[in-house]
Amino acid sequence: MSNTASLRPQPVASEHTPLKPRNVAFDWADTPLHWIPGDPATTHTINVLHLILPAGERWFVHVYKQALPHIRDPRLREDVIGFIGQEAMHSQAHDDVLPHLKEQGLDPAPYTAQVDWLFEKLLGDRTLPPGRARKWWLLERVAIIAAVEHYTAFLGDWVLNAEELDARGADPTMLDLLRWHGAEEVEHRSVAFDLFVHLDGGYRRRVRTWATAFAALVFLWQRGVRFFMENDPTLLDGKASFKEFVRAGRQGVLPTAGDMARSIPQYLSRAYHPSQHGSTTQAIAYLAGSPAATAAEARTKGGS
Amino acid sequence: MPRIPHAPRLRTVLVVTAAALAARRALRGRIKGSPLWPMPALDHPISGQGREAQAGARAHRLTVVERVAEAAGVIRLRLEGADLPDWEPGAHLDLVLPSGTVRQYSLCGSPATPGSYTIAVRLIEDGRGGSQEAHELLHEGTEVTVRGPRNRFPLRDSHAYVFIAGGIGITPILPMVRQAEREGIPWRLLYGGRSRASMPFLAEIEKLAGAGADRVTVVAEDEEGRPDLAALLAGAPPHAAVYCCGPEPLMDAVAALLPDAPEGLTLHTERFAPATPSPTAENAPFEVELRRTGRTITVPAGTSALRAIRDQALPDLPYSCEQGFCGTCQQRVLAGEVEHRDGLLTDAERDDSLLICVSRAREGGRLVLDL
Repeated sequence: MSNTASLRPQPVASEHTPLKPRNVAFDWADTPLHWIPGDPATTHTINVLHLILPAGERWFVHVYKQALPHIRDPRLREDVIGFIGQEAMHSQAHDDVLPHLKEQGLDPAPYTAQVDWLFEKLLGDRTLPPGRARKWWLLERVAIIAAVEHYTAFLGDWVLNAEELDARGADPTMLDLLRWHGAEEVEHRSVAFDLFVHLDGGYRRRVRTWATAFAALVFLWQRGVRFFMENDPTLLDGKASFKEFVRAGRQGVLPTAGDMARSIPQYLSRAYHPSQHGSTTQAIAYLAGSPAATAAEARTKGGS
Repeated sequence: MPRIPHAPRLRTVLVVTAAALAARRALRGRIKGSPLWPMPALDHPISGQGREAQAGARAHRLTVVERVAEAAGVIRLRLEGADLPDWEPGAHLDLVLPSGTVRQYSLCGSPATPGSYTIAVRLIEDGRGGSQEAHELLHEGTEVTVRGPRNRFPLRDSHAYVFIAGGIGITPILPMVRQAEREGIPWRLLYGGRSRASMPFLAEIEKLAGAGADRVTVVAEDEEGRPDLAALLAGAPPHAAVYCCGPEPLMDAVAALLPDAPEGLTLHTERFAPATPSPTAENAPFEVELRRTGRTITVPAGTSALRAIRDQALPDLPYSCEQGFCGTCQQRVLAGEVEHRDGLLTDAERDDSLLICVSRAREGGRLVLDL
């Protein structure tokens, strides 16, 4: 490993910050089904997060618990421990939205039960002999997580800057969930990549797992939007369409297709390091004023 | 020449189009029933099961519609809201006070009244501040968030009941007495308190007793001293169910007397355990056996089980928040009684697991973990 170290991309040191999970809680009682008023297509495109993340981030935690004993760098170890707790809270927070969707007539269970299968079975531990096979599967999954985290950091950075959502009167509780989550994704955006580089870092593995992760995300998202649009009880003839997606990107309520396309060569560049994109300062500034994060802070300080 | 290749091309285009349409139709049909087709669903889905609902902790926002002085130092609050879940005697609510502090209060109204919950709160001057806040800030019109109800003290079927309540411990007992009375099951109640003026719901209880019945014994300490528990239990019908709620010494006394009581009495108690105790709560040392590792370690006072196990045996044990909310350090318990101090696990999860960053063995106990 040491002979390739000098070729490795260097992180931007000032972007590093100590990580801690925040004990947030959200009250969904007042959040409408279409929480971006008058825009069900965009609402549901973002809602797909609630379908994928509970199982997905729970899986991150599961995989990282297994990676922990292999870490030999104490600072990375601290980062990974903070990362695990933050991801666990993201999973819980998005999971709590699902019963609210069901109450509003949009039962997510058919979709989430299949996502559960994907992460628990297809990407689960499998019956592998201890030794090389088990280690290979762990490294493969660590690399997939690094690729997915490239996109969560991209989305986190986007939502912190998506002023158009405020301008459209999007529900403040949902916006706080997305931005608390997004800010923590920006805060810890280097951890998954650093762990991958620490344990393996092979370029071929990076490309291969990026392709897997990207294809899976496109598949899950496309099916998710379609699922929501077709089952939304308030839409007579709900359909997901690519045209809507492009339209929302132009209006600033979703990331633009161009920005998404540009994020691909970023990750595949040999000089890539997550700390080169996004702003830790902005993330910390948001968390300092986030209703959920400040309430969590008060709860932690109060002791009970 | 050019006419010959044209005919098969058209046919090919038609066939391919028809096949594509048929495939699209088939795919649509499948995706309709199975959004991530061709993936199967997990047999026992995990996501979206509503951890809060499972824990009986769905949040509801309620309004205080009535505040009455029920006894000296005790207020009775009626909270109203929409779509409130049903409850049964013994159930309690988590009340989220304006400061974010969470306290548990037994429901003491009638389960047959939909749309409202009734609780009673005794002011504890030197307590942890929750009851003071409730007394100071909860007035008619105040909005509060509650979670629950949950029931850790359910009234099981029995042919006879003996109820023992001490002070504010009457709150879960009162709906039980009403239910037993309504169903015509024989019951007795011993209700003790410091003074008659400080005992809530006395009037209703004396009314329930009916004329001349010896079913209810009210013992005010300033007039008659301590209640005679031994006499009460000695006179209980065999195989009756004993339900007891009140201060710790009262419940300990009842438990101690039980072996000498008539055959087959079953004791059910409810402790007012804090949901998330303050870090200053008692942190006595205890032993943890790591079954798979084959070692036993001592967790010193003031140190978490997580820290002790990591320092002394397993340095790679996963954890994160160290405050009992992220769930990373959850471990399986094989034996021993746990004092749960987390704010996350559901009752079912608490049966066989714990978060080792905050939870400890019950006083003087020892835990065996699957580690």
